[in-house]
Amino acid sequence: MELSVDMLPERRQHLQREGLPACNRPTLPGVVSQRACALYGARWMLAAIKDAIHLLHGPVGCAYYSETVRKKRYEVFSTALEEKDIIFGAGAKLATAIREGVRLRPAAAAVIVYTTCAAGLIGEDVTAICRQAEANLGVPVVPVNCPGFCGVSQGDGHEAAVTALLEHFIGRGADGPPLAKSVNILGEFDIQGDLKEIERLLQRLGVEVLCAVSGRATVAGLARARRAGLNLVHCGRTGRRLALEMAERFGIPWRKVSFFGLAETAAALRTIAAFFQCPEKATWVEEEIESAREKASPYLERLAGKRVGLFFGASRMGSMARAFRELGLEVVFCGSQFGCREDYAESRSRLGRETLMVDDAHERELEEFLHRYRPHLLVGGSREQFMAHKLGVPFLVFPQETAPYAGFNGFVNLAREVATFIGAPVWRLAAGSPAPG
Amino acid sequence: MQLKEIPITGIPYDQLYIEKIPAAPEYCRRPAELLPAGNRSVVVNPNRTCMPLGAMWAVLGVHGAIPFVQGAQGCTTYVRYTFCRVFKEPATIATASFHEDAAVFGGRRNLIEGIRNLVVRYWPELIGVVTTCSSEIIGDDMVSFLKMARANLRKEIGPERADGIPIVLVNTPSFAGSHVDGYDRASRAFVETLATTRNKPNDKVNIIPGLLYPGDIREIKHLLRHMGIEGIVLFDISDPLDAPLQPPVSLPYKPPGGTPVEAIRDMANSLATFALQPHAGQAGARYLERKFGVRAVVGPPPIGIQGTDAFLKALRELTGKPIPENLRQERGRLVDSLADTFHHTMMKKVAIMGDPDVVLGVTRFVLEMGMEPVALAGGTASKTFDHDVEAILAEGGYAGDPPLVVNGGDLLEFEEHLKQLPRVDLVIGNSRAVDIAKELQVPLVRVGFPIYDRFGYQKRAVVGYRGGEVLLAEIVNSILGYQYPDDRTHQL
Repeated sequence: MELSVDMLPERRQHLQREGLPACNRPTLPGVVSQRACALYGARWMLAAIKDAIHLLHGPVGCAYYSETVRKKRYEVFSTALEEKDIIFGAGAKLATAIREGVRLRPAAAAVIVYTTCAAGLIGEDVTAICRQAEANLGVPVVPVNCPGFCGVSQGDGHEAAVTALLEHFIGRGADGPPLAKSVNILGEFDIQGDLKEIERLLQRLGVEVLCAVSGRATVAGLARARRAGLNLVHCGRTGRRLALEMAERFGIPWRKVSFFGLAETAAALRTIAAFFQCPEKATWVEEEIESAREKASPYLERLAGKRVGLFFGASRMGSMARAFRELGLEVVFCGSQFGCREDYAESRSRLGRETLMVDDAHERELEEFLHRYRPHLLVGGSREQFMAHKLGVPFLVFPQETAPYAGFNGFVNLAREVATFIGAPVWRLAAGSPAPG
Repeated sequence: MQLKEIPITGIPYDQLYIEKIPAAPEYCRRPAELLPAGNRSVVVNPNRTCMPLGAMWAVLGVHGAIPFVQGAQGCTTYVRYTFCRVFKEPATIATASFHEDAAVFGGRRNLIEGIRNLVVRYWPELIGVVTTCSSEIIGDDMVSFLKMARANLRKEIGPERADGIPIVLVNTPSFAGSHVDGYDRASRAFVETLATTRNKPNDKVNIIPGLLYPGDIREIKHLLRHMGIEGIVLFDISDPLDAPLQPPVSLPYKPPGGTPVEAIRDMANSLATFALQPHAGQAGARYLERKFGVRAVVGPPPIGIQGTDAFLKALRELTGKPIPENLRQERGRLVDSLADTFHHTMMKKVAIMGDPDVVLGVTRFVLEMGMEPVALAGGTASKTFDHDVEAILAEGGYAGDPPLVVNGGDLLEFEEHLKQLPRVDLVIGNSRAVDIAKELQVPLVRVGFPIYDRFGYQKRAVVGYRGGEVLLAEIVNSILGYQYPDDRTHQL
């Protein structure tokens, strides 16, 4: 078998067995990339803001695809640019569209305007149009500068969304003393009930969640976020930037935590308890860990010594890698689509020197890893899923399909699902003796 | 779907329906002048997507072909997501990966390097180059770029291997048309590039199915087989996008099947070209007719009895082969099903949305069932849609109120209109109508592209007589499940 890295020498630095892979570089043209564009990143961050109108300034396709993010379907508005708009400019059309959107949804608390490749290329001054519309309509009209080609991946769309959040949403509310024992969770997208599980644990500490950015965010909730006592950074890259800026502007301290896996969750709870000086030195944490371990133990027996390959968006890599190791799985390769240096460093510190680390692996490389390492499970997004199936490798979609993986109960869910996936009869049937006849 | 009120026996059929909650409690009426999409600048929940998707769909239907998308990464990622959701299959689509530098300096480097990288990684049998809005706006000179890419490839892997890989360029600016038009353009680009000579007649018929699912294409092949006719199906996604799981596979994974490149070259020699969906595939058929005199038979989609009849009759006329007994029996079974269930379907008020050809085909079929179409929305704007709807209504002698016809438009327009109607019994459309059906509290029968919230719809057929039975059963059962209390369904 020809090695793809030898065919594309540019990729060599992105695969590392010991150090950290090169990252944050443009994707090679001509590969089947798993990355998405900046617009997608921005939609991923902001889609859940419920009481805002989401208006895409671009061709209709971008709006069509942006409806379904995070496995949910959201209402989107679009200017649906056509040929004449591309030639003669679409500024007036955008202004009208904003006005019409507000008339159609009078209850909306804000309008979020996303730019696309087309709008970026024809050089529309979206910011000025939004400012004008805001003055005319009396509703915040927020431009998000995220043409698809900007930056190397969807990560740059996350950045653009964070910029918009900071400038237009967070901390717009009235100032006041910090609300007692309240936190914001930054970079938590509340997929399949993760947030509920995290809230349950925080409630046991007596801590309230003010705002989850952006799993459960509203315009009003974001405005109030400045009064939190502490910021918890869950998803690294975007969360970290939000936290730093909020620390600077409103003096809110922050901690990087993760709620995936027993050790990480316990550490997170200890950090938060220490910060708020919670009196009951959390004996219940030990009890919950014990109980979770007990519940998971039948599955853990079946998982010992199995191999897993991980391929995530970005910073969940590190904490999830640790959770998988707690399950008794050996992580044979670990990669991400748009992780930054900190993300890879964090994962490396949790994985040791044996794991192959890869940045921006594309489909062909993933196929080769599956072939060479024969992992018992691949974890990733739904684009890799069907390719893995065709090669006979069980696949776990993360963000998950069924139950929360966060917190102690989430760990049990994870153990149960991983064991079920790996032991599923379908793989035996697929790989076994040839079909009769 | 919960029954709110159980109908009492003795109520005439047209009044047999359940008191419905018209809309969510927070529903407020929209400004009337903003309801038609034509009056607005803003589009709310579009009912169509962009051209590149149609072109990528087409390329994936060619054996060993890989689409190369000259645009930003999102343009491939979104489409791959869509195909994964709909077909549950891997979709190998390469990206030119535009970043800021391409936006400023153009996509020449991306294309030349990209073609090279794609070839050495996958050794495709054909590359379908699909443009996007960004490459069209910055004005990439694709023809000359492709020449350079070819020259570069010859240098790297030798002229023989390099020239063995045909490259087909499909221009699909996303700011014009829709996925239906993208497929249409691809059909023309492929025959124009590959079917260049008419040298010896082959007695085959070309079929351009349009955006039909693997199950549908299998059904069309079934009809051809029983007619004893050899066909060339252009963009045959039935195997590539519904492949068996049979490890071990060699790397890289290449899906089986698809239309062989040789077969596309041979299309110029055929007897005729059937474009089963006039909006998606007509361009290819017309081109072959103009250039080589290969007769073009455009539509109607073989959905329902008359639709399938028309297809088979055209095949009979063309080849002189009779329609065999077993297809007559299939037809008879469908007619029998229609008769058996007519009292359930008659006078039911139905709203249909989706791609224009699907809407037209299904409309003809529901008229055969005695249903009353109250609103028809073809997401892609079309020159002939309104006229076609009128023709279909007239042909069946339809006497009810004429339906609202949304040619183009968006889902907001469709939904708000449905909310104002006194009664709708059923929505037929793709998965994007889920919210509308929920809001109206009526069942949704899923047909067309995309269907991502149910499994198996891509494998079943709705075309042909047998497909008609499947669709009929689904329509009837959804009416039964919704409108009839259990104690009345025992003696159906």
